[in-house]
Amino acid sequence: MLEIKDLRVNLEDENKEILKGVDLSVEAGKVHAIMGPNGSGKSTLSYVLSGKDGYEVVGGSVKLDGLDILEMEPEERAAAGLFLAFQYPVEIPGVGNMTFLRTAVNSQRKARGEDEISATDFLKQVRERAKSLQIDAEMLKRPVNVGFSGGEKKRNEILQMAMLEPRMCILDETDSGLDVDAMKLVAEGVNALRDAGRGFLVITHYQRLLDHIKPDVVHIMANGKIVKTGGPELALEVENNGYSEILSEVA
Amino acid sequence: MASFESIEVKDGVDQETVDAVREVGGAYKYGWETDIEMEYAPKGLNTDIVKLISDKNEEPEWMTEWRLKAFNRWEKIKEPKWSMVQYPEIDFQDQYYYARPKSMAEKPKSLDEVDPKLLATYDKLGIPLKEQMLLAGVETADNGEQGERKVAVDAVFDSVSVGTTFQKELKSAGVIFCSISEAIKEHPELVKKYLGSVVPVTDNYYATLNSAVFSDGSFVYVPPGVRCPMELSTYFRINAENTGQFERTLIIADKGSYVSYLEGCTAPKRDTAQLHAAVVEIVVEEDAEVKYSTVQNWFPGDEDGNGGIYNFVTKRADCRGDRSKVMWTQVETGSAVTWKYPSCILRGDDSQGEFYSIAITNNHQQADTGTKMVHLGKNTKSRIVSKGISAGFAQNTYRGLVSMHPKAKDSRNYTQCDSLLIGDKCGAHTVPYIEVKNNSSRVEHEATTSKVDDDQLFYCRQRGMDEEEAVALVVNGFCKDVLQALPMEFAMEAQQLVAISLEGSVG
Amino acid sequence: MAIKQQKFDPIEDATFQVANKNRGWSQKAREGALKRLSTMGMPSRRDEYWKYTNPTELLTEKLSVSPVVGLEDANIFSELDALKIVFCDGVFNPDLSDDLAAENIIISRLEENGDLHWAKNYYGLLEEKAQRPVSRSLAALNTAIASDGALIHVKGKVEKPIQILGIRNNTAEAILHHVIKVEKDCSITLLESGPFAKRLNSVMEVFLDEGASLEHIRAQGRDHDRLAVTHVFADIKENAKFKSFTLSANGMLTRNECVLTLSGDECAAHVAGASVGDGKSFHHDDTVFITHDAVACESRQVFKKVLRNGATGVFQGKILVKEGAQKTDGYQISQSLLLDEDSQFLAKPELEIYADDVACSHGSTSGAIDEEALFYLCSRGISKNDAADMLTLAFLAEAVEEIENDKIADIIVEKISAWLSRRRN
Repeated sequence: MLEIKDLRVNLEDENKEILKGVDLSVEAGKVHAIMGPNGSGKSTLSYVLSGKDGYEVVGGSVKLDGLDILEMEPEERAAAGLFLAFQYPVEIPGVGNMTFLRTAVNSQRKARGEDEISATDFLKQVRERAKSLQIDAEMLKRPVNVGFSGGEKKRNEILQMAMLEPRMCILDETDSGLDVDAMKLVAEGVNALRDAGRGFLVITHYQRLLDHIKPDVVHIMANGKIVKTGGPELALEVENNGYSEILSEVA
Repeated sequence: MASFESIEVKDGVDQETVDAVREVGGAYKYGWETDIEMEYAPKGLNTDIVKLISDKNEEPEWMTEWRLKAFNRWEKIKEPKWSMVQYPEIDFQDQYYYARPKSMAEKPKSLDEVDPKLLATYDKLGIPLKEQMLLAGVETADNGEQGERKVAVDAVFDSVSVGTTFQKELKSAGVIFCSISEAIKEHPELVKKYLGSVVPVTDNYYATLNSAVFSDGSFVYVPPGVRCPMELSTYFRINAENTGQFERTLIIADKGSYVSYLEGCTAPKRDTAQLHAAVVEIVVEEDAEVKYSTVQNWFPGDEDGNGGIYNFVTKRADCRGDRSKVMWTQVETGSAVTWKYPSCILRGDDSQGEFYSIAITNNHQQADTGTKMVHLGKNTKSRIVSKGISAGFAQNTYRGLVSMHPKAKDSRNYTQCDSLLIGDKCGAHTVPYIEVKNNSSRVEHEATTSKVDDDQLFYCRQRGMDEEEAVALVVNGFCKDVLQALPMEFAMEAQQLVAISLEGSVG
Repeated sequence: MAIKQQKFDPIEDATFQVANKNRGWSQKAREGALKRLSTMGMPSRRDEYWKYTNPTELLTEKLSVSPVVGLEDANIFSELDALKIVFCDGVFNPDLSDDLAAENIIISRLEENGDLHWAKNYYGLLEEKAQRPVSRSLAALNTAIASDGALIHVKGKVEKPIQILGIRNNTAEAILHHVIKVEKDCSITLLESGPFAKRLNSVMEVFLDEGASLEHIRAQGRDHDRLAVTHVFADIKENAKFKSFTLSANGMLTRNECVLTLSGDECAAHVAGASVGDGKSFHHDDTVFITHDAVACESRQVFKKVLRNGATGVFQGKILVKEGAQKTDGYQISQSLLLDEDSQFLAKPELEIYADDVACSHGSTSGAIDEEALFYLCSRGISKNDAADMLTLAFLAEAVEEIENDKIADIIVEKISAWLSRRRN
């Protein structure tokens, strides 16, 4: 479903290569995890896939369901079914969480030539999905992410994911800043969305999130490249031996 | 803040904003004109014109004298140049100072007699002058309660008031709501007592000009203890070409009364600039409260800065009585040039003044706007929230004064001025004056200037919104504090305006 | 704009002075300044730029000679090892000054004769540039008739701080004009203190080359009859850093203007002031104008005023961000603590911004000492006077913290503490 081929990316302002030929393909219904030490290019990959400014793609291709997404605007990628759960969700003062969600849902529906969701259906769906993530009415009323705790922000990301029903979900360090209970809650939210038609790319530094979101495939990323790919046992290897051992092994 | 009454904005309104943008496609929606036979006073300004305007309004002699005195003074003074707006020299002799539809020569006795063309004009503007109908945009509230909010309208077309709705119903509550020309004839004692008592004839160049040539406007008197049973509003429409509109509004809230007043304005698209110089005076007696909301949407000129309204307005509220309260809310999206500082004189002890403002300038618009909070009484409070948004080649200035008189013990002011820039060819400026002359008062002023946050835009776009939607959403969020201060029917219009005014500012 | 003086006309007087004395290499600049001055005229209360301060007293002729202030009283930085340049009655005094020869620095005086001097191309340059958009006539007057000044050229690492010190003996007026040029990657600490004269008109022009830095610390105090107008002009190039802090105590009328242009990318300018005033005759005015004319520059203005017994504090501060000056970071805060009923604070903090990728903010507050904090401290056993002093010092701290040299900062805090304790009932 998501096919990344020899993706090479520079920082726009500097002539510095951050991704040095990434190859990766995520099939529908599968969960792939990318692990790697700090500075390995994991977050860059998530930003480049979603179309953030400041990066220059110097080579390679990215296809989502056969469509080249690198030329698309961020909103077009979103409408095509790509969703990024941000490592640091952005605060937008003054914009109500509900308003934001409804605008996003309808924008995507319109872009896909679908009808807008009715106000009642929307409300019903939000309430239902918010409940399972333990997001209360109060939180839905507040401005987007403003004054939210770390856990609340991450739960809010998953709620958006649930409402937007993307084909391909990228989770960027979703476990950062979460305690065990919050992580469980978030993982449950993600697991509930797993189905045969949907792909996941879970980016994480630690193995612990993968205890809760069981991956099908684990990749190790270092220095802008995927250096090793394996099954869930690879994550445990990292947990037990650290990155340095694996890296020296492949080097 | 907790003590200030706030009005909830309907959830989901932002979505309607976005829809409105799509529907309207960025065009100034009120740029059409009404084809109607007009009569004009001769071009130019002199004592004969002043007398003619007075005569057309069938005014008593004292009023004519008052005008002439103002005119004599105006001839001696110069146009102020201190504001950060630039425009070609105005030729005050190359204007019409009086224009009325011929069908208004004889004042209609009731709304039924008003020229259908005029009624159709207001209908098209979304302001039906029929009492059984409500203002456009008033919908059923979210909580399922029926939107039975009545709004009385005084409609001013060029130089004359076309008609005023709900007069009878208001009269039975003791409220006088009529055109100022009618008030001069019917309630001379009130007009004599209050006219010019808040904004003196000598106040400033434009106020002096207005005092000489104002042709119509609205008059409100709310007697002691009366809570005005409905919202009052005046809708100003400039239609005639090369004609200045000079309206005068006088609102008196007697002891313990309450009134909420709305003001809207539009004008046709024209290549040449037009002059508008209004004066609004508000008198607030003991324990009375007045809310005054404006959505100013005069024609802003075209994308290259041709035409548009030059808007020079003096608005001031005098909180004379103890515990009196006034709240100004303005959404300024129109006009080529705006020069406007709705102010509060907090004379009574424990009186309160509030000013909430959104000023949006795009293309070649220029706005120099803000407020004056003059604290004279003890324990007075004021609050200023100003949101300026500048795009295109526009210049947007907040100019304000907070003054704590030595006798204004234990008073407080809080000011928040935020400016947002969209594009690198526009400007945003903040010019506050702060004068504190006693130590028991506390004054806090904060101001920020920044551009629309890229991370916020990216976040919105990652969720599927296009750039323009994202900007409209973020800017509406930026303005939320002010939008919340508006009555609901205006809040929705204002949100749409925010988005429409910024059309073409990105990408 | 010009106001008519009945007896004394400063412009006429300046014209006479410039015409009757040839000042060698600076003569041309002086003539130019005189020309500007004649066009601009003298300031008056009607000028927007003098809205809160009446310049009249700075312009009249007659001044009674005031008490003598000697070196000991003038030098509040005496415990520091600095190279002293002493001016007495507005004229350089070689006997009281240290040996001006030092490594990596050339120091000379304005009144040095001859037609050639490195400062020839710099004297009056920034003053002239700063005459737009507002006239600063008193600075032009200074350029035209300055009696003396220090010319400092920094060409390497300077070990000791340089100190400009003023004392007075029998003249009521001093007009000093200093030019400081710091070469690429060089740095200097510059101290300034002392009552130069009852009426002081001082101009300092600072040129910071790429990567250069200057820290200026000034103390105005000890002279209760001071009438002073000072201008610091600076042109700051790429990666350079300009810092200036002023402590003002006492005096009658003080107007300190600071006009800075950030003209090279990624440079920084910080200007701060702490002023403490007591009594109806105290009027202190800080007027700052910062122009951002390059990319990714940072400016900070921190001004704090403690006012009592009817004292007046004025702050006029402006950040101008020119078109193209993207990534500007501009911050400004002006606050006053009014210790009693009669004191007043008048402020006009302005932003004028023509670039969009900026983060600029200003804040201004005015109010009395926080009663709750006072009570809290007292409840912990601190006397009311000590508590009030602690809170006052805490209030001034943000400005004092702008001083990088800890030793100097300690001296300043000590002086403020002493000032506060002298005022206890």
